[in-house]
Amino acid sequence: MTALMYDRENPWEVTTRTIVYAAIGAALYAITAQFQFPLPGTANVFLRPSFALVPFFGFAFGPIVGLFVGLVGNAIADQISGWGLLTSWNWSLANGLAGLIAGLAGYWLAGGIRNRVARSAVAAAIGVVIGFLFVLTDIWLGTAEDIGVAMVDNYIPVVIGNLIVSVILVPILVAAWEPVRESIGR
Amino acid sequence: MPTVRVTPRYLGRGSWLARRDPRLLVISLALFVLAVVQVWDLRILALLGLVAYLYYRSARIPFREVRGNWAYVLFFVTFIIVVNTILTGGELRGYTDEQLHVYFRLPLLGTPISAESLTYAAAQYMRFIPMAAMGFPIAFAVAPADIGPAFARLGVPDRFAYALDLTYRFVPSLAADMRTTIDAQRVRGYDWEREGRGPVGKVKRVAPLMVPVTVNAIVGAEDTIDAMDLRAFGTGPRTWLRHLAFDATDRLVLAGFAVLLGIVTVLSQTGHTELWVPELLQRLGS
Repeated sequence: MTALMYDRENPWEVTTRTIVYAAIGAALYAITAQFQFPLPGTANVFLRPSFALVPFFGFAFGPIVGLFVGLVGNAIADQISGWGLLTSWNWSLANGLAGLIAGLAGYWLAGGIRNRVARSAVAAAIGVVIGFLFVLTDIWLGTAEDIGVAMVDNYIPVVIGNLIVSVILVPILVAAWEPVRESIGR
Repeated sequence: MPTVRVTPRYLGRGSWLARRDPRLLVISLALFVLAVVQVWDLRILALLGLVAYLYYRSARIPFREVRGNWAYVLFFVTFIIVVNTILTGGELRGYTDEQLHVYFRLPLLGTPISAESLTYAAAQYMRFIPMAAMGFPIAFAVAPADIGPAFARLGVPDRFAYALDLTYRFVPSLAADMRTTIDAQRVRGYDWEREGRGPVGKVKRVAPLMVPVTVNAIVGAEDTIDAMDLRAFGTGPRTWLRHLAFDATDRLVLAGFAVLLGIVTVLSQTGHTELWVPELLQRLGS
Protein backbone atom coordinates (compact mmCIF):
# COMPACT_ATOMS: atom_id res chain seq x y z
CA MET A 1 0.00 0.00 0.00
CA THR A 2 1.65 3.21 -1.10
CA ALA A 3 -1.05 5.76 -0.64
CA LEU A 4 -3.20 7.10 2.13
CA MET A 5 -6.65 6.07 3.29
CA TYR A 6 -8.36 7.00 0.03
CA ASP A 7 -6.75 4.06 -1.80
CA ARG A 8 -8.47 1.54 0.45
CA GLU A 9 -11.43 -0.43 -0.72
CA ASN A 10 -13.90 0.95 1.77
CA PRO A 11 -13.67 4.62 2.80
CA TRP A 12 -16.47 4.10 5.35
CA GLU A 13 -14.58 1.55 7.44
CA VAL A 14 -14.53 2.50 11.14
CA THR A 15 -11.63 1.00 13.06
CA THR A 16 -9.84 1.88 16.29
CA ARG A 17 -7.48 3.94 14.17
CA THR A 18 -10.42 5.90 12.71
CA ILE A 19 -11.70 6.71 16.19
CA VAL A 20 -8.36 7.82 17.60
CA TYR A 21 -7.36 9.89 14.58
CA ALA A 22 -10.79 11.54 14.57
CA ALA A 23 -10.45 12.44 18.25
CA ILE A 24 -6.93 13.81 17.77
CA GLY A 25 -7.96 15.86 14.74
CA ALA A 26 -11.00 17.29 16.52
CA ALA A 27 -8.97 18.19 19.62
CA LEU A 28 -6.24 19.84 17.52
CA TYR A 29 -8.83 21.80 15.54
CA ALA A 30 -10.63 22.91 18.70
CA ILE A 31 -7.40 24.15 20.28
CA THR A 32 -5.95 25.92 17.26
CA ALA A 33 -9.27 27.37 16.02
CA GLN A 34 -8.90 30.09 18.65
CA PHE A 35 -6.25 31.75 16.49
CA GLN A 36 -7.38 33.63 13.40
CA PHE A 37 -6.65 36.90 11.66
CA PRO A 38 -8.59 39.12 9.25
CA LEU A 39 -7.82 39.11 5.54
CA PRO A 40 -6.46 42.59 4.77
CA GLY A 41 -8.86 44.80 2.84
CA THR A 42 -11.98 42.85 3.83
CA ALA A 43 -14.59 43.46 6.50
CA ASN A 44 -15.45 39.96 7.58
CA VAL A 45 -13.09 37.47 5.97
CA PHE A 46 -11.02 35.77 8.63
CA LEU A 47 -8.22 33.33 7.93
CA ARG A 48 -8.35 30.45 10.38
CA PRO A 49 -5.24 28.39 9.58
CA SER A 50 -6.40 25.53 11.75
CA PHE A 51 -9.26 24.82 9.36
CA ALA A 52 -6.70 23.06 7.13
CA LEU A 53 -6.75 20.21 9.66
CA VAL A 54 -10.32 19.35 8.63
CA PRO A 55 -9.68 18.52 4.95
CA PHE A 56 -6.26 17.10 5.84
CA PHE A 57 -7.71 14.54 8.26
CA GLY A 58 -10.52 13.79 5.81
CA PHE A 59 -8.07 13.28 2.96
CA ALA A 60 -5.47 11.34 4.95
CA PHE A 61 -7.71 9.15 7.10
CA GLY A 62 -11.05 9.01 5.33
CA PRO A 63 -14.37 10.83 5.13
CA ILE A 64 -15.63 9.63 8.51
CA VAL A 65 -12.59 11.14 10.22
CA GLY A 66 -13.01 14.36 8.21
CA LEU A 67 -16.66 14.62 9.20
CA PHE A 68 -15.87 14.09 12.88
CA VAL A 69 -12.93 16.50 12.94
CA GLY A 70 -14.98 19.30 11.36
CA LEU A 71 -18.21 18.69 13.24
CA VAL A 72 -16.89 17.98 16.72
CA GLY A 73 -13.77 20.14 16.44
CA ASN A 74 -15.76 23.23 15.49
CA ALA A 75 -18.41 22.57 18.16
CA ILE A 76 -15.76 22.20 20.88
CA ALA A 77 -13.93 25.27 19.58
CA ASP A 78 -17.19 27.20 19.95
CA GLN A 79 -17.58 25.75 23.42
CA ILE A 80 -14.06 26.83 24.43
CA SER A 81 -14.63 30.36 23.10
CA GLY A 82 -17.92 30.59 24.99
CA TRP A 83 -20.16 30.70 21.94
CA GLY A 84 -21.70 27.39 22.94
CA LEU A 85 -21.50 23.80 21.76
CA LEU A 86 -24.67 23.89 19.65
CA THR A 87 -25.35 27.62 19.13
CA SER A 88 -23.96 27.48 15.59
CA TRP A 89 -24.62 23.81 15.00
CA ASN A 90 -25.13 24.40 11.28
CA TRP A 91 -21.61 25.86 10.96
CA SER A 92 -20.18 22.86 12.78
CA LEU A 93 -22.05 20.59 10.40
CA ALA A 94 -20.76 22.62 7.43
CA ASN A 95 -17.20 22.12 8.72
CA GLY A 96 -17.91 18.41 9.05
CA LEU A 97 -19.32 18.20 5.53
CA ALA A 98 -16.20 19.94 4.20
CA GLY A 99 -14.05 17.25 5.86
CA LEU A 100 -16.34 14.46 4.65
CA ILE A 101 -16.35 15.70 1.06
CA ALA A 102 -12.58 16.31 1.06
CA GLY A 103 -12.18 12.68 2.15
CA LEU A 104 -14.51 11.41 -0.53
CA ALA A 105 -12.99 13.65 -3.21
CA GLY A 106 -9.52 12.31 -2.39
CA TYR A 107 -10.92 8.81 -2.82
CA TRP A 108 -12.69 9.60 -6.11
CA LEU A 109 -9.79 11.56 -7.58
CA ALA A 110 -7.25 8.81 -6.85
CA GLY A 111 -7.38 7.58 -10.45
CA GLY A 112 -7.36 11.02 -12.05
CA ILE A 113 -4.64 12.90 -10.17
CA ARG A 114 -1.71 10.66 -9.38
CA ASN A 115 0.26 13.26 -7.43
CA ARG A 116 -1.01 12.95 -3.88
CA VAL A 117 0.03 16.41 -2.80
CA ALA A 118 -1.78 18.06 -5.73
CA ARG A 119 -4.76 15.76 -5.20
CA SER A 120 -5.01 16.83 -1.56
CA ALA A 121 -5.25 20.50 -2.57
CA VAL A 122 -7.99 19.79 -5.12
CA ALA A 123 -9.90 17.55 -2.69
CA ALA A 124 -9.69 20.20 0.04
CA ALA A 125 -10.95 22.90 -2.33
CA ILE A 126 -13.90 20.73 -3.41
CA GLY A 127 -14.70 20.00 0.23
CA VAL A 128 -14.69 23.69 1.15
CA VAL A 129 -16.77 24.89 -1.79
CA ILE A 130 -19.46 22.20 -1.45
CA GLY A 131 -19.43 21.60 2.30
CA PHE A 132 -19.90 25.20 3.30
CA LEU A 133 -23.04 25.55 1.18
CA PHE A 134 -24.70 24.26 4.33
CA VAL A 135 -24.15 27.63 6.05
CA LEU A 136 -26.93 28.98 3.82
CA THR A 137 -29.22 27.43 6.45
CA ASP A 138 -28.49 30.68 8.31
CA ILE A 139 -31.43 32.10 6.34
CA TRP A 140 -33.77 29.69 8.11
CA LEU A 141 -32.10 30.30 11.47
CA GLY A 142 -32.40 34.07 11.08
CA THR A 143 -28.68 34.86 11.20
CA ALA A 144 -28.85 36.02 7.59
CA GLU A 145 -31.71 38.08 6.27
CA ASP A 146 -31.87 36.58 2.77
CA ILE A 147 -29.88 34.55 0.23
CA GLY A 148 -27.89 37.64 -0.83
CA VAL A 149 -26.76 38.36 2.72
CA ALA A 150 -26.10 34.68 3.38
CA MET A 151 -23.84 34.53 0.34
CA VAL A 152 -22.03 37.86 0.86
CA ASP A 153 -21.87 37.78 4.65
CA ASN A 154 -21.37 34.07 5.31
CA TYR A 155 -20.67 31.71 2.43
CA ILE A 156 -18.26 33.71 0.25
CA PRO A 157 -16.07 35.01 3.13
CA VAL A 158 -15.74 31.61 4.76
CA VAL A 159 -15.03 29.90 1.44
CA ILE A 160 -12.37 32.49 0.50
CA GLY A 161 -10.68 32.23 3.89
CA ASN A 162 -10.80 28.46 4.05
CA LEU A 163 -9.71 28.00 0.44
CA ILE A 164 -6.60 30.11 1.08
CA VAL A 165 -5.58 28.15 4.17
CA SER A 166 -6.53 24.77 2.68
CA VAL A 167 -4.70 24.99 -0.63
CA ILE A 168 -1.58 26.19 1.17
CA LEU A 169 -1.51 24.08 4.33
CA VAL A 170 -3.19 20.80 3.34
CA PRO A 171 -0.51 19.90 0.74
CA ILE A 172 2.19 20.86 3.26
CA LEU A 173 0.61 18.61 5.89
CA VAL A 174 0.22 15.74 3.40
CA ALA A 175 3.81 16.14 2.18
CA ALA A 176 5.05 16.11 5.79
CA TRP A 177 2.87 13.20 6.91
CA GLU A 178 3.40 10.83 3.98
CA PRO A 179 7.07 9.90 4.66
CA VAL A 180 6.32 9.55 8.36
CA ARG A 181 3.39 7.26 7.57
CA GLU A 182 5.58 5.08 5.38
CA SER A 183 8.32 4.97 8.00
CA ILE A 184 5.94 3.71 10.68
CA GLY A 185 4.35 1.28 8.24
CA ARG A 186 0.83 2.69 8.21
CA MET B 1 0.63 33.10 20.50
CA PRO B 2 -2.02 34.45 22.86
CA THR B 3 -2.83 32.35 25.90
CA VAL B 4 -6.26 30.77 25.64
CA ARG B 5 -7.68 28.51 28.31
CA VAL B 6 -8.62 25.45 26.34
CA THR B 7 -8.86 22.88 29.11
CA PRO B 8 -12.47 22.07 30.00
CA ARG B 9 -13.34 23.82 33.27
CA TYR B 10 -15.92 22.23 35.54
CA LEU B 11 -16.98 25.53 37.11
CA GLY B 12 -20.52 24.56 38.00
CA ARG B 13 -19.48 21.60 40.14
CA GLY B 14 -22.06 20.84 42.85
CA SER B 15 -24.70 23.19 41.44
CA TRP B 16 -28.32 22.17 40.92
CA LEU B 17 -27.80 21.86 37.18
CA ALA B 18 -24.53 19.95 37.53
CA ARG B 19 -26.37 17.35 39.62
CA ARG B 20 -28.78 16.69 36.79
CA ASP B 21 -28.29 13.91 34.24
CA PRO B 22 -25.89 15.42 31.65
CA ARG B 23 -28.24 14.35 28.84
CA LEU B 24 -30.73 16.85 30.20
CA LEU B 25 -28.38 19.72 29.39
CA VAL B 26 -27.95 18.62 25.79
CA ILE B 27 -31.64 17.89 25.15
CA SER B 28 -32.78 21.11 26.87
CA LEU B 29 -30.41 23.16 24.73
CA ALA B 30 -31.61 21.48 21.53
CA LEU B 31 -35.29 22.07 22.45
CA PHE B 32 -34.57 25.66 23.43
CA VAL B 33 -32.64 26.44 20.23
CA LEU B 34 -35.47 24.95 18.13
CA ALA B 35 -37.92 27.19 19.99
CA VAL B 36 -35.89 30.40 19.79
CA VAL B 37 -35.18 30.21 16.06
CA GLN B 38 -38.92 30.44 15.40
CA VAL B 39 -39.37 33.72 17.30
CA TRP B 40 -38.83 37.39 16.40
CA ASP B 41 -41.38 38.90 18.79
CA LEU B 42 -39.52 40.75 21.57
CA ARG B 43 -42.18 39.93 24.17
CA ILE B 44 -41.88 36.18 23.61
CA LEU B 45 -38.12 36.46 23.37
CA ALA B 46 -38.08 38.23 26.75
CA LEU B 47 -39.91 35.27 28.29
CA LEU B 48 -37.52 32.82 26.64
CA GLY B 49 -34.64 34.97 27.89
CA LEU B 50 -35.99 34.70 31.43
CA VAL B 51 -36.12 30.92 31.12
CA ALA B 52 -32.53 30.89 29.86
CA TYR B 53 -31.42 33.21 32.67
CA LEU B 54 -32.95 31.03 35.40
CA TYR B 55 -31.47 27.92 33.80
CA TYR B 56 -28.04 29.58 33.56
CA ARG B 57 -28.20 30.78 37.17
CA SER B 58 -28.93 27.24 38.34
CA ALA B 59 -25.49 26.22 37.04
CA ARG B 60 -23.78 28.68 39.46
CA ILE B 61 -20.97 29.50 37.02
CA PRO B 62 -18.82 32.26 38.57
CA PHE B 63 -19.01 35.28 36.27
CA ARG B 64 -15.37 36.30 36.83
CA GLU B 65 -14.31 32.95 35.35
CA VAL B 66 -16.30 33.40 32.15
CA ARG B 67 -16.05 37.17 31.56
CA GLY B 68 -13.85 36.59 28.53
CA ASN B 69 -16.29 34.08 27.08
CA TRP B 70 -19.21 36.50 27.50
CA ALA B 71 -17.16 39.31 25.94
CA TYR B 72 -16.56 37.08 22.93
CA VAL B 73 -20.27 36.28 22.64
CA LEU B 74 -21.26 39.96 22.81
CA PHE B 75 -18.61 40.96 20.29
CA PHE B 76 -19.62 38.21 17.88
CA VAL B 77 -23.37 38.91 18.10
CA THR B 78 -22.75 42.64 17.62
CA PHE B 79 -20.55 41.87 14.63
CA ILE B 80 -23.28 39.72 13.03
CA ILE B 81 -25.93 42.37 13.63
CA VAL B 82 -23.86 45.30 12.32
CA VAL B 83 -22.73 43.44 9.21
CA ASN B 84 -26.26 42.17 8.55
CA THR B 85 -27.69 45.68 8.86
CA ILE B 86 -25.08 47.21 6.55
CA LEU B 87 -25.29 44.46 3.95
CA THR B 88 -29.07 44.52 3.80
CA GLY B 89 -29.08 48.32 3.52
CA GLY B 90 -31.57 48.43 6.37
CA GLU B 91 -34.09 46.31 4.48
CA LEU B 92 -36.10 43.85 6.51
CA ARG B 93 -37.94 40.74 5.48
CA GLY B 94 -41.67 41.49 5.17
CA TYR B 95 -41.24 45.30 5.18
CA THR B 96 -41.22 47.72 2.26
CA ASP B 97 -39.26 51.02 2.45
CA GLU B 98 -42.53 52.91 2.90
CA GLN B 99 -43.44 50.87 5.97
CA LEU B 100 -40.20 51.70 7.82
CA HIS B 101 -40.20 54.39 10.54
CA VAL B 102 -36.83 55.94 9.76
CA TYR B 103 -34.83 57.92 12.38
CA PHE B 104 -31.77 58.78 10.29
CA ARG B 105 -29.53 57.40 7.57
CA LEU B 106 -25.93 56.26 8.03
CA PRO B 107 -23.47 58.70 6.45
CA LEU B 108 -21.94 57.51 3.14
CA LEU B 109 -23.86 54.20 3.11
CA GLY B 110 -27.34 55.71 3.31
CA THR B 111 -28.57 52.72 5.31
CA PRO B 112 -31.79 53.72 7.10
CA ILE B 113 -31.82 53.25 10.87
CA SER B 114 -35.46 52.69 11.68
CA ALA B 115 -37.74 51.53 14.47
CA GLU B 116 -37.96 48.24 12.62
CA SER B 117 -34.20 47.75 12.16
CA LEU B 118 -33.53 48.60 15.82
CA THR B 119 -36.19 46.14 16.91
CA TYR B 120 -34.71 43.55 14.59
CA ALA B 121 -31.25 44.14 16.09
CA ALA B 122 -32.67 43.84 19.62
CA ALA B 123 -34.39 40.61 18.60
CA GLN B 124 -31.08 39.24 17.29
CA TYR B 125 -29.46 39.96 20.67
CA MET B 126 -32.40 38.38 22.45
CA ARG B 127 -32.15 35.27 20.29
CA PHE B 128 -28.41 34.68 20.49
CA ILE B 129 -27.61 35.63 24.07
CA PRO B 130 -30.15 33.22 25.62
CA MET B 131 -28.92 30.48 23.28
CA ALA B 132 -25.35 31.14 24.45
CA ALA B 133 -26.51 31.21 28.08
CA MET B 134 -28.17 27.82 27.62
CA GLY B 135 -24.96 26.48 26.04
CA PHE B 136 -22.62 27.65 28.82
CA PRO B 137 -23.69 24.92 31.29
CA ILE B 138 -22.68 22.20 28.79
CA ALA B 139 -19.22 23.72 28.76
CA PHE B 140 -18.94 24.44 32.47
CA ALA B 141 -21.45 22.32 34.40
CA VAL B 142 -20.95 18.86 32.94
CA ALA B 143 -18.12 16.74 34.32
CA PRO B 144 -15.78 16.12 31.36
CA ALA B 145 -15.88 12.37 32.03
CA ASP B 146 -19.67 12.38 31.56
CA ILE B 147 -19.59 13.66 27.97
CA GLY B 148 -19.00 10.24 26.38
CA PRO B 149 -21.66 8.31 28.32
CA ALA B 150 -24.13 11.16 27.86
CA PHE B 151 -23.89 11.10 24.06
CA ALA B 152 -23.81 7.29 24.01
CA ARG B 153 -27.09 7.23 25.94
CA LEU B 154 -28.51 9.83 23.56
CA GLY B 155 -28.18 7.29 20.75
CA VAL B 156 -24.78 8.22 19.32
CA PRO B 157 -23.04 4.96 18.30
CA ASP B 158 -20.65 3.75 21.00
CA ARG B 159 -17.52 4.22 18.92
CA PHE B 160 -18.33 7.85 18.14
CA ALA B 161 -19.40 8.57 21.70
CA TYR B 162 -16.05 7.21 22.79
CA ALA B 163 -14.32 9.35 20.14
CA LEU B 164 -16.05 12.37 21.66
CA ASP B 165 -14.90 11.34 25.10
CA LEU B 166 -11.39 10.87 23.75
CA THR B 167 -11.45 14.31 22.12
CA TYR B 168 -12.03 16.00 25.47
CA ARG B 169 -9.21 13.95 27.00
CA PHE B 170 -6.82 14.94 24.21
CA VAL B 171 -7.51 18.69 24.44
CA PRO B 172 -5.34 19.46 27.51
CA SER B 173 -2.44 17.24 26.48
CA LEU B 174 -2.38 18.48 22.89
CA ALA B 175 -2.61 22.09 24.10
CA ALA B 176 0.47 21.42 26.26
CA ASP B 177 2.24 19.83 23.27
CA MET B 178 1.43 22.92 21.22
CA ARG B 179 2.92 25.25 23.85
CA THR B 180 6.05 23.08 23.96
CA THR B 181 6.33 23.21 20.17
CA ILE B 182 5.90 26.99 20.15
CA ASP B 183 8.69 27.34 22.69
CA ALA B 184 10.92 24.93 20.79
CA GLN B 185 10.39 26.81 17.52
CA ARG B 186 11.04 30.14 19.24
CA VAL B 187 14.40 28.84 20.38
CA ARG B 188 15.11 28.25 16.69
CA GLY B 189 14.12 31.83 15.84
CA TYR B 190 10.52 31.25 14.80
CA ASP B 191 8.02 33.81 15.99
CA TRP B 192 4.33 33.07 15.45
CA GLU B 193 3.26 36.61 16.22
CA ARG B 194 5.58 38.25 13.70
CA GLU B 195 3.58 39.46 10.71
CA GLY B 196 3.96 37.52 7.48
CA ARG B 197 3.88 39.15 4.05
CA GLY B 198 0.28 39.22 2.88
CA PRO B 199 -2.34 36.60 3.65
CA VAL B 200 -0.39 33.81 1.97
CA GLY B 201 2.70 34.70 4.00
CA LYS B 202 0.67 34.78 7.21
CA VAL B 203 -0.77 31.33 6.52
CA LYS B 204 2.64 29.92 5.57
CA ARG B 205 4.03 31.17 8.87
CA VAL B 206 1.69 28.75 10.66
CA ALA B 207 3.19 25.68 8.97
CA PRO B 208 6.27 25.38 11.25
CA LEU B 209 3.87 25.18 14.16
CA MET B 210 1.01 23.16 12.72
CA VAL B 211 3.02 20.48 10.94
CA PRO B 212 5.10 19.19 13.91
CA VAL B 213 2.15 19.39 16.32
CA THR B 214 -0.12 17.46 13.94
CA VAL B 215 2.41 14.83 12.86
CA ASN B 216 3.61 14.26 16.44
CA ALA B 217 0.04 13.91 17.64
CA ILE B 218 -0.74 11.32 14.96
CA VAL B 219 2.46 9.36 15.57
CA GLY B 220 1.89 9.54 19.33
CA ALA B 221 -1.59 8.13 18.86
CA GLU B 222 -0.11 4.71 18.05
CA ASP B 223 0.18 3.91 21.76
CA THR B 224 -3.48 4.78 22.33
CA ILE B 225 -4.53 2.70 19.31
CA ASP B 226 -2.49 -0.30 20.47
CA ALA B 227 -3.86 -0.03 24.00
CA MET B 228 -7.43 0.09 22.70
CA ASP B 229 -6.88 -2.80 20.28
CA LEU B 230 -5.32 -4.90 23.04
CA ARG B 231 -8.48 -4.33 25.07
CA ALA B 232 -10.58 -5.46 22.07
CA PHE B 233 -12.10 -2.04 21.50
CA GLY B 234 -15.10 -2.15 19.19
CA THR B 235 -15.53 -5.90 19.14
CA GLY B 236 -18.75 -5.78 21.13
CA PRO B 237 -21.22 -3.38 22.70
CA ARG B 238 -19.45 -0.92 24.97
CA THR B 239 -20.31 -0.49 28.62
CA TRP B 240 -19.64 2.71 30.54
CA LEU B 241 -18.47 3.01 34.10
CA ARG B 242 -20.78 5.97 34.64
CA HIS B 243 -24.44 4.95 34.71
CA LEU B 244 -26.93 7.66 33.82
CA ALA B 245 -30.58 7.76 34.81
CA PHE B 246 -33.16 10.53 34.65
CA ASP B 247 -34.78 11.26 37.99
CA ALA B 248 -38.18 12.90 38.52
CA THR B 249 -36.71 16.41 38.46
CA ASP B 250 -34.90 15.72 35.19
CA ARG B 251 -38.12 14.48 33.61
CA LEU B 252 -40.00 17.53 34.85
CA VAL B 253 -37.42 19.93 33.40
CA LEU B 254 -37.38 18.08 30.09
CA ALA B 255 -41.16 18.11 29.96
CA GLY B 256 -41.06 21.85 30.61
CA PHE B 257 -38.73 22.49 27.68
CA ALA B 258 -40.78 20.19 25.44
CA VAL B 259 -43.96 22.10 26.35
CA LEU B 260 -42.14 25.39 25.73
CA LEU B 261 -41.14 24.21 22.25
CA GLY B 262 -44.69 23.02 21.59
CA ILE B 263 -46.22 26.37 22.60
CA VAL B 264 -43.72 28.37 20.55
CA THR B 265 -44.28 26.14 17.52
CA VAL B 266 -48.05 26.65 17.74
CA LEU B 267 -47.57 30.42 18.10
CA SER B 268 -45.19 30.43 15.15
CA GLN B 269 -47.53 28.42 12.95
CA THR B 270 -50.39 30.79 13.76
CA GLY B 271 -48.30 33.87 12.91
CA HIS B 272 -47.79 35.19 16.45
CA THR B 273 -43.98 35.19 16.54
CA GLU B 274 -43.23 37.74 13.80
CA LEU B 275 -41.24 40.91 14.46
CA TRP B 276 -43.16 43.16 16.86
CA VAL B 277 -42.18 46.83 16.78
CA PRO B 278 -43.14 48.77 19.95
CA GLU B 279 -45.60 51.62 19.33
CA LEU B 280 -43.29 54.10 21.07
CA LEU B 281 -40.42 53.37 18.68
CA GLN B 282 -42.71 53.78 15.68
CA ARG B 283 -43.91 57.17 16.91
CA LEU B 284 -40.31 58.41 17.21
CA GLY B 285 -39.65 57.67 13.53
CA SER B 286 -40.94 59.41 10.41
